[in-house]
Amino acid sequence: MSRPGTLRMLTRDVGAALSFGFVALVVLAAILAPWIAPRDPYATDLLAIMQPPGGDYLWGTDGQGRDILSRCIFGLQVTLFMGLVSLIAGGVIGAAVGFAAAFYRRLDGVLMRLMDILLSFPAILFGLALAAIFGPGLTSVIIALSIATVPLMARIVRGAALVVMGQDYIEAARATGMSDARLVWRHVAPNCLSPIFVFSTLRLGQVILLGSALSFLGLGAQAPVAELGAMAAQGRNFLFIAPHISVIPSLAIFAVVLAFNVLGDALRDALDPRLRI
Amino acid sequence: MILRAENLAKHFAAPGGLVRAVDGVSFTLARGETLALVGESGCGKSTTARLVLRLIEPSAGQVAFDGEDITTLPPNRLKPFRRRAQIVFQDPYASLNPRLRVGDTIQEPMRVHGLGSAAEQRARVQELLALVGLAPFHAQRYPHEFSGGQRQRIGIARALAVQPDLVVCDEPVSALDVSIQAQVVNLLKDLQQRFGLSYLFIAHDLGVVKHMADRVAVMYLGKIVELAEKRTLFANPRHPYTRALLAAIPHPDPALRGRVKPLGGDLPSPLNPPPGCRFHTRCAFATELCRREEPALVDGVACHHTAELPPLDMAYAGGLSETATRRLARYAQAAGQRN
Repeated sequence: MSRPGTLRMLTRDVGAALSFGFVALVVLAAILAPWIAPRDPYATDLLAIMQPPGGDYLWGTDGQGRDILSRCIFGLQVTLFMGLVSLIAGGVIGAAVGFAAAFYRRLDGVLMRLMDILLSFPAILFGLALAAIFGPGLTSVIIALSIATVPLMARIVRGAALVVMGQDYIEAARATGMSDARLVWRHVAPNCLSPIFVFSTLRLGQVILLGSALSFLGLGAQAPVAELGAMAAQGRNFLFIAPHISVIPSLAIFAVVLAFNVLGDALRDALDPRLRI
Repeated sequence: MILRAENLAKHFAAPGGLVRAVDGVSFTLARGETLALVGESGCGKSTTARLVLRLIEPSAGQVAFDGEDITTLPPNRLKPFRRRAQIVFQDPYASLNPRLRVGDTIQEPMRVHGLGSAAEQRARVQELLALVGLAPFHAQRYPHEFSGGQRQRIGIARALAVQPDLVVCDEPVSALDVSIQAQVVNLLKDLQQRFGLSYLFIAHDLGVVKHMADRVAVMYLGKIVELAEKRTLFANPRHPYTRALLAAIPHPDPALRGRVKPLGGDLPSPLNPPPGCRFHTRCAFATELCRREEPALVDGVACHHTAELPPLDMAYAGGLSETATRRLARYAQAAGQRN
């Protein structure tokens, strides 16, 4: 009897297949931006500012006459890089802290109080502080978002790991005399994947939005770098005359975040052998 | 002697004092023997099982495995003991990692102890699957594809993978259907004979115990109240609590109902166990002495008044009551007339 593989599971449900396709497309577009963008994202055409979508410029132009489609494609690169790097960096550290707290109960109090301290600062504040130290820019934003993700991931993982560690199969594994590292890697971590996936996809959306907010405040991507959040921010001055300048990058953020959320759910199900029938 | 527990105790700190889950338990287990540990829920039998395997640290007392005190060994020197002592759990749904294929679950203990090459281990997995009555292709499946009884067989195969000497069975059949219970119990007995296993068998079903055990230890509130050969215990229970437990076994002959009064009340809290004999709050024979002094386990029974207990009509242990005999005779007669 053959069993569907992970990829097969991912493409079985229509929503999952669509989101998987869309995310793949978005990532490809971001990587291939220099080759597929129709125009130079930095070239200004002062004779064609605030052009509505359609016409010569497919998605219109912004206040300086730059092609919004090209800027969105390049912006995707920056936004995705920022979001994924900070999610992965913060997530990995947070997960390590969470597992350590659940596994070594003596460390639990100290580690989780540290996480509470981190949790008490808003991500925007980290951004401000880091921008003050390292100067505004993408690096500061990524570090700030990573730090802000650590305590959240730590809490989620600790909770999930504590539940898993109460299961009999953990005791059985202990009774075989395996090392702690093996126990966590083979038995605890795989059974914590569901909440980690759900949280990661939710968090990716939040991180992208937070990054955009920091860019909006002028702490993140610096003009003229195309970044979806910064682009939405720049369009706010023309919201009544040319709403598409803000709306189009915002829609792009929305679509990307939504696609990652749906994909995250599908991936969680696809990786669970219990649902593989 | 494969196992000796000496004054084993486990106290948990709780708001309001110490919970004395296990409070001074001593017993021995010979090679190839089955010692059953029976008692109500919450009497400390599962805690005892975990103490014996040092899955939790004892508050006092010691466990000697094959002559070696394992309670004081540093964790990094426990590994040889871990290979020789394994556990089978009560809940076959919680005791298998849902994300590992069954073959990997069974192979893992061999990997941990470096027994044989990868190919040899896989061959042994097939052997073990056959041993517990499963098919070779089952190795590729995940736990959720199996029934409770099959999962329990997988748990048993995992325990046997490292060829242990001692298997602690923590209520291995109480979560299974009655028809499946018999299969698993018989499997455990077969395996014991083939491999000379010693079982510490935790149970609350005396029917299963009667089938499995060589000796029985009855626990009440963290203490052993009676410890005897199975036959002796079932034929002549010497502790009032043991009598009550035996009387609680449902009997098919209604005429025998209610010979021993069923036990009233609940198990007192182990947080503040009653002073004196812990059973006195529910014992029909309790006296002032019982409320004051704690009886020691002497000659296999911990009761002040064991010698004075009224003789028990143990007819229900085997034969039928008079009424039932008469009734059966009448049925036979009626059947004869019809023919």
